[in-house]
Amino acid sequence: MLATKRGAYLNSSSTNTIKPRKIKNKRSGAPEERATFKSPIVPWLLLFPTLLILTAFIYYPAIKTLLLSIYQANLILNTQRFVGIGNFTDLLSSPAYQQVALQTLVFTVLTVGIGLLLSLSLAYLASRPIRGAQYYRLLLIFPYALSPAIAGTLWLFLFNPDIGLVNRFLEPLHLARRWLDDPFLAFGLVTVAAIWKGLGYNVVFYLAALQNMPTDVLEAAEIDGANASQRFWRIIFPLLTPMTFFLVFTNIISALFDSFALTDILTRGGPAYHNAGITTFLIYQLYEDGFINFKIGTAASQAALMLLLVAGITILQFSLGERKVHYGS
Amino acid sequence: MSLQFAAAQTTVEFWYSFGDAKRSGWVQARADEYNKAHPGVVIKPVYKGSYNDSLQATILAGRQGKSPAMVQIFEVGSQLALDSGMFQPISSIKKIDYSDYLKPVINYYTINGKINSLPFNSSSPVLYFNKDLMQKAGLNPKQPPTTYGGLLAACKKIQAAKLGATCFGMSLNGWFVEQWMAEQGATLLNNANGRQGRATESNLNSPAAAKIFQFFKDLKDANAFTYSGKLEDWDGSDAIFTNQKTVFHITSTADIGNINAAATKSGFKMGVGVLPIPDSTKRNGVVIGGASLWISKNIPKAQAESALDFALYMTNTKNMADWHKLTGYYPVRQSSINLLRNQGWFLQTPLQLVAFNQLLKTVPSPATAGALNGAAIESRKDIEEGLQKVLSGTPVDDALKETKTRVDAALKEYNSNFK
Repeated sequence: MLATKRGAYLNSSSTNTIKPRKIKNKRSGAPEERATFKSPIVPWLLLFPTLLILTAFIYYPAIKTLLLSIYQANLILNTQRFVGIGNFTDLLSSPAYQQVALQTLVFTVLTVGIGLLLSLSLAYLASRPIRGAQYYRLLLIFPYALSPAIAGTLWLFLFNPDIGLVNRFLEPLHLARRWLDDPFLAFGLVTVAAIWKGLGYNVVFYLAALQNMPTDVLEAAEIDGANASQRFWRIIFPLLTPMTFFLVFTNIISALFDSFALTDILTRGGPAYHNAGITTFLIYQLYEDGFINFKIGTAASQAALMLLLVAGITILQFSLGERKVHYGS
Repeated sequence: MSLQFAAAQTTVEFWYSFGDAKRSGWVQARADEYNKAHPGVVIKPVYKGSYNDSLQATILAGRQGKSPAMVQIFEVGSQLALDSGMFQPISSIKKIDYSDYLKPVINYYTINGKINSLPFNSSSPVLYFNKDLMQKAGLNPKQPPTTYGGLLAACKKIQAAKLGATCFGMSLNGWFVEQWMAEQGATLLNNANGRQGRATESNLNSPAAAKIFQFFKDLKDANAFTYSGKLEDWDGSDAIFTNQKTVFHITSTADIGNINAAATKSGFKMGVGVLPIPDSTKRNGVVIGGASLWISKNIPKAQAESALDFALYMTNTKNMADWHKLTGYYPVRQSSINLLRNQGWFLQTPLQLVAFNQLLKTVPSPATAGALNGAAIESRKDIEEGLQKVLSGTPVDDALKETKTRVDAALKEYNSNFK
């Protein structure tokens, strides 16, 4: 699931790089070369297996979900009561759901912002020609190989207030804290854990981009007397924008959807703070309503709202991608 | 010939929720024995994930006409299972003599005069204590605290002794609040805990509920409480106790075996006492927790009868005594207790005896029969968050009021499914 989601983003941005507008214009004059099928049935026949799978596993469930979102429904009771947009108005006017949405926003901004900045710095350092660089790279990448469930359990035991390793070290310094029930610490902990978990993925991509950086431009800059900081900010950073752009969006999607396993195991969405658990994010709220409390109507509405959110992000991605990203000459 | 044989065969799928080898192995062994003794029947036990997952799977299978014959469902799912219409009361399948079953246990599963499911794995909460640490603090391990006041007084001594351990810790779970309401003879929900009609409101504004929340306030003020910080984190709080970071601990009787083993490994002696309750309150007893066996409605009669017959075999006198020894769950039959007594089991392991007496002395009433609530899973979490807020400094009254509002809203929403 994750791989396909990210793969899709990778494809979309790489198509962006391959076909800038100019080429299209050049082509529009000449007659296009295209293979044609003699019978109109053949292409449909070839598409059929794909369409069948898409219909069964994507389109049909998606339409069912949208339909369900206008009902109050209980999975166990098999009851459905038409409520129109009632689920949506309830959600959007609920202080708990508003808080969850705000928390999700803060969490996403923090994990994506700090996560990418940190990954870029680490990737830059690891790309320097130093002794043992390959070991540093390996160590940087490994958290991504851990399953979120294992990562969550690790952090849970590390930060147990009484028997966790972290407090055991902090105790003599009188710095021991209640990591999982102090709302601000718990939120920070989940954020840091999510950043750490995503670090490997981001570092891999940045490393690849840095290693493929055209050396002639950098040499030219060096000859022109640019210092290290100028070289980084004026040349490397702009050349990295396609990669940064790609990573920003994969990271947003990952913060929205993949935060689920980590929070479930580490905090169960808690601790309670005002109207909701402080680490309850949109996807966790959806899971809890749908699969713990069996309220599938409201869960479907939440899925619809999240669909809108992702649609908005996608539109933003394409409109920004056209204007702001520097793909080189 | 082979066709005839196939027709004569009755296959009974039994979905259960024990992920560990110890308990699932026990269930499989009973099925194998039963299959050997009944050539026409095949009992197929299948592990279906957590209680929540298996309830969901059962309902979805039922909608496709593929109901498993028998399912193990947790007690908070009872009202949901009943309302789903997917199950038949076992008392309508075959006449069974229930006089041998422990009254508090059978009470939980009796709804509208009908016994809906057969009790299987039942437990209740007890106090666990670290005898060595108690002694170091000058407390007598032979007299563990039995009330909130007693526990708080013990906490003072423990703090004075500077043991490097917190006085008390437990997993924050709504289940305990349900138990403490029952001990005080108070119902958690209106309409006699939802047993005389659908519950529409919680009794969280009662003095009984206030005493429970106040206990957590007192513990917080005395710095006498700790937990991992995550709700319903049974393993985390057990680990704190077995690592000697708390002196007192409350959890299910079902863990006596496991925690005792961990205590021995960690190098201390563990004791078990009754669940501490509010001061100067008459002890009404506990609500039975755990799970029971439900039989699906839309299955052939032969299948239903075989399922019930196997359930009765699995929970017969000898097997229940055996199950108790293996796990710490209560044997749900009086005859099993007699058998254990004759075997001298309670002399060897007096730890379990406390738990037994607590159950046997339970006064039958709607309070101790337990609350029936279709939104029980959600309500539990609301209550846990209420306690968590008290622990983080919210005044008791405010926390109770908010919790009541949320639980009542959940009840109202659930009930509106039937309009």
